[in-house]
Amino acid sequence: MDVIQYFIKQSDRIFTYTLNHASLIMIGILCSLVLWISVGIAVRNNSKSANAVLGVGSFIMSVPSISLYGILMVIPGLGLSRTSAVIGLVLYSMLPIVRNVYMALNGIDPSIIEAARGMGMKKRDILWKVQLPIALPIIFAGVRVALVMMVGTATLAVYIGEQNLGRLLTHGIERTHSEMIITGAVMVSAIAVLVDYLMGYLQRKLVSPGIRSGADKSASGKVRYNGI
Amino acid sequence: MIHLENVEKKYTQMERPAVKDLSMEIKEGEICVFVGPSGCGKTTTLKMINLLIRPTGGKIYINGRDVQKQNPDRLRQNIGYVIQQIGLFPHMTVYNNIATVPRLLGWNEKRIKGRTDELLELVGLDPDENRHKYPNALSGGQKQRVGVARAMAADPPIMLMDEPFGAVDPIVRAQLQNELLNLQRKIKKTICFVTHDIDEAIKMGDKIAIMNDGRLVQYDTPENILFAPANPFVEEFVGFDRALKVLNLLEVGTVMKTNIVTANPADSIEDIENKLKKYKNNYIAVTDDKHRIYGYVNKQELNIPKDEEWHKRIRKFSTTLPLHATLKDALSEMLQYDIAVIPVVNENNELAGIVSMKALRSYIGEAYEDEENAELPDIKVSRRRGA
Repeated sequence: MDVIQYFIKQSDRIFTYTLNHASLIMIGILCSLVLWISVGIAVRNNSKSANAVLGVGSFIMSVPSISLYGILMVIPGLGLSRTSAVIGLVLYSMLPIVRNVYMALNGIDPSIIEAARGMGMKKRDILWKVQLPIALPIIFAGVRVALVMMVGTATLAVYIGEQNLGRLLTHGIERTHSEMIITGAVMVSAIAVLVDYLMGYLQRKLVSPGIRSGADKSASGKVRYNGI
Repeated sequence: MIHLENVEKKYTQMERPAVKDLSMEIKEGEICVFVGPSGCGKTTTLKMINLLIRPTGGKIYINGRDVQKQNPDRLRQNIGYVIQQIGLFPHMTVYNNIATVPRLLGWNEKRIKGRTDELLELVGLDPDENRHKYPNALSGGQKQRVGVARAMAADPPIMLMDEPFGAVDPIVRAQLQNELLNLQRKIKKTICFVTHDIDEAIKMGDKIAIMNDGRLVQYDTPENILFAPANPFVEEFVGFDRALKVLNLLEVGTVMKTNIVTANPADSIEDIENKLKKYKNNYIAVTDDKHRIYGYVNKQELNIPKDEEWHKRIRKFSTTLPLHATLKDALSEMLQYDIAVIPVVNENNELAGIVSMKALRSYIGEAYEDEENAELPDIKVSRRRGA
């Protein structure tokens, strides 16, 4: 009951925090998509550079978020800014997105590519009209993981000046204010669930019905846990 | 049409070339089958024709133009390509799969639509039913039909087929083979066909190119490959049942009896008895007014009371064969239904002739006589060794 009262009393603040949280994630995921899908495509035919890139991604993933933000904070020109917050999110999404793009593009049945070449399709056409559409479910799975992770990581961006739902958590913990903590936790989880649901909806809309069945399973199960 | 001149493919990591000093000429409208054990270079040769593999030596000409001097994408758009795994695009409908090359060539949708329907009909799939299906909703045989349709979409004069029917079960394979042969009678493409199955080669090929170790061992008609193998390798590769394989080569149309006497349901029993007597037959085929096969009556069953209708004694044939069926088909049907004669019908279902076990036996017999005479010394030697 206290939680609900707290929520009602603080609804303005919570609303602002939620908007900030959502906008940070939005910017983060857009930058990540452009950057990491391009990187994944760039390294698709070169296992050496792919391994290097994925190694970097794994390393970043293993750095605790707080220390990563700490490092970003002391870099001149970044400091306590939204840019630092976005960079942190983008770095964390490197591994899941690049890995899934790389694996999805390389996991396509070679006979499909051979048929495409044999019909006289250009390399670029094969990439855009054949490889990427077929790889889409697995790429989606990676993006979904990245997004859900971002929702959580974004809460730590409050240490470098972000005013988002993470505040409720950090302040709540500092003051042992359980209503605050619960409200923050519930809101963050709600955003994560919503984002995941939206991605699922988008995936159903975008992925061709011809490869939909069974693709979900391999995307969320096999690929996600296949460490490189 | 396709001219290969001292073509060679060497891979740097391999000591022996995959294809060596290959020269041959594939004529327009012919099916040329490349056959040989795995690793003999047959697929490499095929893929060099559309430059999926670049030759390291020699020249390949299509209609007198050097393929290596052409834009590979442009070249491939004019050569149909069918592979064993088919490689249909799983995210595209049957329609969009078939439309691939026409779209590359910039056709408008109306023309593509017309062509797609035409092609689906041609390969025996109902357009309305299949146009919007995705490949995962098709059976193996249907997929390969779509694969063939897709390769023919822009009506290329040349088709390259790399073990196209290798992945389907034997029954569907035979069906697809027959359909392709029927299709080929209409479309008259120049087809290069790779297989490792000598029976398929004999059935499909106007010419057969037998390869071994990257070299062309014999390039000839199926008849000559069977009756005059160039060397022991070909002889062994073709197998020791050559005489039976000949059955695969001959169509029933060539051995059937055509001057057959037939009865009409309107005939009286006296007419029929006269016909039987005149031609010394034990049975007579009955056809309707349009010369379509109706059945047959046996001579001894015609001894019936005068008041009884002879029509009741008409028996149906268990099966009929199309003109293009092979003697092997005929023999197989005869054994299956335990019958000695099968009527042969043309496209309009009219009786074209009758093929009998007797005729078949004489063909096999002739072939086996040659075989026996040829093998006799060997047999003696082996017997002596055994004793």
